[in-house]
Amino acid sequence: MKAVRILTRVLIYVLALAAVSVLLIAASGADPVSALGIFVNGIFGNKNSFCEIFVKGTPLILTGLACALAFRTGFFNIGTEGQFYIGAMAAAAVSLRCTFLPPVLRVVGAFIIGFLAGGLWSLIAAGMKLRFNISEIIVTIMLNYIAINFVGVAVHSFLQDPASGLPQSERLAAEVTLPRIVSGTRLHIGFFIALALVVLIWFILEKTTWGYEMRLVGLNPRAAEVNGISVAGGVVRAAMLSGGLAGLAGVIELMAIQKKLLEGFSADCGYTGVLIALLAANRPELVPVAALLYAAAQVGAAAMQRQANVPSSMVSILIGCIVIMLLARAWLSGRVSRRGKQRV
Amino acid sequence: MALLEMQDISISFFGSYANEHVNLSVEAGEIHALLGENGAGKTTLMNILYGIYRAESGRIFWQGQEVDFRAPQEAIRAGIGMVHQHFSLVNAKTVLDNILLGDEQVPFFLPRKKLRARVLELSERYGLKVDPDALVGDLSIGEKQRVEILKALYRDIRLLILDEPTAVLTPGETEQLFQVLKALKERGFAVILITHRMSEIMNNTDRITVLRGGKCVGTLKTAETDAAALSALMVGRELEVPSNTAFCDDSKEMLSLDHVSVFRSGRKRATIDDVTLSVHAGEILGIAGVEGNGQKELAEAIVGIRRRRVRGSIRVEDQDLTGTSVCVRAERGMAYVPDDRQHDALVPGMDIGENLLLRQYNHVPFSSGRVFHKKAIRKNAQDAVDTYNIRTVGSLGIHSPVRMLSGGNQQKIVLAREITPGARFIVASQPTRGLDISASAFVHEKLLEQKRLGKGVLLISADLEEILALSDRIAVMYNGRIAGVLSRAEATVEKIGLLMGGMTGEKEAVA
Ligand SMILES: Nc1ncnc2c1ncn2[C@@H]1O[C@H](COP(=O)(O)OP(=O)(O)O)[C@@H](O)[C@H]1O
Ligand SMILES: [Mg+2]
Repeated sequence: MKAVRILTRVLIYVLALAAVSVLLIAASGADPVSALGIFVNGIFGNKNSFCEIFVKGTPLILTGLACALAFRTGFFNIGTEGQFYIGAMAAAAVSLRCTFLPPVLRVVGAFIIGFLAGGLWSLIAAGMKLRFNISEIIVTIMLNYIAINFVGVAVHSFLQDPASGLPQSERLAAEVTLPRIVSGTRLHIGFFIALALVVLIWFILEKTTWGYEMRLVGLNPRAAEVNGISVAGGVVRAAMLSGGLAGLAGVIELMAIQKKLLEGFSADCGYTGVLIALLAANRPELVPVAALLYAAAQVGAAAMQRQANVPSSMVSILIGCIVIMLLARAWLSGRVSRRGKQRV
Repeated sequence: MALLEMQDISISFFGSYANEHVNLSVEAGEIHALLGENGAGKTTLMNILYGIYRAESGRIFWQGQEVDFRAPQEAIRAGIGMVHQHFSLVNAKTVLDNILLGDEQVPFFLPRKKLRARVLELSERYGLKVDPDALVGDLSIGEKQRVEILKALYRDIRLLILDEPTAVLTPGETEQLFQVLKALKERGFAVILITHRMSEIMNNTDRITVLRGGKCVGTLKTAETDAAALSALMVGRELEVPSNTAFCDDSKEMLSLDHVSVFRSGRKRATIDDVTLSVHAGEILGIAGVEGNGQKELAEAIVGIRRRRVRGSIRVEDQDLTGTSVCVRAERGMAYVPDDRQHDALVPGMDIGENLLLRQYNHVPFSSGRVFHKKAIRKNAQDAVDTYNIRTVGSLGIHSPVRMLSGGNQQKIVLAREITPGARFIVASQPTRGLDISASAFVHEKLLEQKRLGKGVLLISADLEEILALSDRIAVMYNGRIAGVLSRAEATVEKIGLLMGGMTGEKEAVA
């Protein structure tokens, strides 16, 4: 009886989404059936496009993981976009400007410095939260603007390629980029690094006393205090890890895909991390699923745009709808009565 | 024709029934008690009536017509009001705003003057004294409750449901509440009252419906029954009420407080003012007093939650714990049962096993080198569930989120965690607040057991009956000071009452 009710509601969701898609495609003047064929073919059609899912998914896994971890531990980090840029910038500085180091050390150094830079950037918000009780949501959003524009300054000054004169850094030398693993595609080793980090974060959160303290602080800081567990310690840890992961997303994107620092190169994947975490219900183990589904939708939409002239922003609209539906999922599970009062 | 008729109501959560074929009938002009242990399904039944949950089976007749409320607004419109166990007021708004809040009848442009007059008239008529322009955040708990009742009455109801209204009230406030309920009854209102206190039921209600384990075990006329019969009906067996019979004569000091004062930042006056106390081995020292006279600050200073702005010295046995952290004190044998289960003691979103770990998660066998040992944690949880007979939620077992457990079962988790063999001294603050009689009896028995084991117990409670039943000595707090200390033999309700009101007797304020 309850199961039937939930099932019908899921069905309503799916039908509603299908209806919106068909309407959007029709509105852009294409034939919905053939457009959908192109969408599917764009994803599964060939090796290259299929591998693109993982290429596009990699930074989303990391920023999604950063947000999921932060939201689970009560540090509402909306600043993954900024941390992504700061991480990438730090990695660019190390790999381009520390040429006195051997390439291997430059790569390792870029990862470490990128992680620390992203982490410290979000630590600013943690500090303001703990010291002055200012909402980390607002501070991390503000730090995004600062970080993005700081990168703009960097590529006009100390990280600018003097040879080109364009607002971008020089290209990374081949020996400091991340290796590709399937020839003819852009799939690179960073994807597996991201997966390993998912496992690591899941392990820390669920299996260690460290993660327990962090979750505790997120769920009930007062109980943490009463039992002598440092709330500040939990928040600092959450901020450092979360910011560091977003920083690593920037490092990997720089060293595997873009290979040079330039303005606007994140393609909003920091902001998208918030969404991925939401889709994954803040559970690290679900983040790769959400990120890859999102990436697949992007890849398919790009094909639709190329071949059927359907704007790829359609996917963004659909994802917006999905998120709103997810937010209303209390209704889906039947936990809310009609007037929307949350049951207790 | 009864005003309200609930027939054959059933609802289940996770495969176990919270209400199973329950019948309830309420007449106009009666105060009808709903009695049952924690988790018996009282709140659930009322939530079904109020449109928060929907019953899986059964029918509800209201004023002779079958109804099916799908939201509280529909119940309110039909004339049913409810004051929940936990208040739902907005602290930053005035009393008047809170009363108008969420009222569908209020027009877009508020005729404030008229509405204010109406509220004043209501509060006058039923003796619900409260200033409509005061900020709700500044009110006492009793006043907040009056606002909740006013809010319900303002909506032209005929039935008022009160879910454990007296659990948080002082004796005086409770007295006032029953005056109000009597006035309502005389004007033909029906009242459904949920409470665990037998005396309140016997003195104020007309009929009683008893729930046990989700089932209805009978409806009785108050005049034709007594407290013992009711509690037997409710628990399903005769209940022994534990009380302290073996008085302590040990001279070994377990806790000694020497001129302890606690200051609040920005305030000159101390919230705890020069308290000197000692508790001996095998002794329960009761701290009586109207809540808010420094009891919570005292407890927190003793267990180490408050360390800054604390003066004086705190010793447990022969260890000086002044200035040490919560964790150090816990390791040296300090246990704490906080008054606020939901916020201070437990993490409602975590499961039973994780809540039991709160003190010990960093120790073997639960973890080593920061990595948890699942098996030991699971075993620990299962042991606690078995020995304390903790009622978990349906099929979830030890993985039940603590948020879903009843108050009595939540408190059992706190006791299982705090009262360990290593505990030497126990600070128990309002340990039976909101618990039913059998759960309270369990907690009392547990505290007495600790006394017999030669530990020291500091029992802070606003419930005089509890203090008198358990304590070897009784200290009364007033305004952050110890207004007097009475031995069990000389303590009477009258003497304690005087001290609670701040009238110091001939005895000096030193124990
Ligand atoms: N939202 C819920 N989810 C799961 N179980 C619930 C929920 N609400 C109540 N219960 C269960 O139903 C039973 C009755 O609870 P309740 O009505 O709150 O008892 P009472 O008010 O009599 O103390 C309890 O076992 C409780 O755990
Ligand atoms: Mg209840």
